[in-house]
Amino acid sequence: MIVLPMAVPFIVLVLAAVVAMLGLRKTAVWVWFLALAVLVYVLQGHITDPLKIAL
Amino acid sequence: MTALARALNALALLGICAVLGVAFYWQLARGELPCPLCLVQRAAFLGAGLGFMLNVRFGSSESHYGVAIVSALVGGAVAARQVLLHVVPGTGSYGSALLGWHFYTWALVAFFLIALFAAALLFIEAQFAEGVSDWRPTVLAQVLGWLFVLIALGNAVSTLLECGFGPCPDNPTGYELLRK
Repeated sequence: MIVLPMAVPFIVLVLAAVVAMLGLRKTAVWVWFLALAVLVYVLQGHITDPLKIAL
Repeated sequence: MTALARALNALALLGICAVLGVAFYWQLARGELPCPLCLVQRAAFLGAGLGFMLNVRFGSSESHYGVAIVSALVGGAVAARQVLLHVVPGTGSYGSALLGWHFYTWALVAFFLIALFAAALLFIEAQFAEGVSDWRPTVLAQVLGWLFVLIALGNAVSTLLECGFGPCPDNPTGYELLRK
């Protein structure tokens, strides 16, 4: 399974915000969809982190 | 877009910028690094902020509110997950508390309020009459938008420094990219 850096969803979100400010509304929404997908993918690798720290 | 809807969207965007600003203050001034789940919640705040920013920048659209609500639901689910994990006896907590609650507990409340606020704004039907193509952003809208971009960029750089190019440590103790 490919491990994505945690910064990737942030970078995609920055891209979405910049694209929005440049006037590309629909593109910004699609880039947000991509960011959301990446975020959920990154999340599954950290879902039990608090338990790992404690146990 | 009505003046009321415009003002409330700008207010929501400012609120999210303030939340991320406080988180940044805790990270930089108090040296408390965000955990991976905390970072996911920050990204969800950015997603919700993007929804309000789109409304401020282009005028109101149902899809913009959708962006805010879905982001808040994802962030809320992650915050709830973290709260529930720390409820387990012996698991302790992560980070210090603010006004008696940990940041992930505040985040859960904030995400719930964001989703509720965005849903409530959808009741102002007059805001959709103009359509997004006719909307011209004000100078204030431009300033708010670029402020949001700046905060998003700051979070991206900070996360890259903290986690590096691999998986983020479960319990980060320093900035991975700044280690000698």
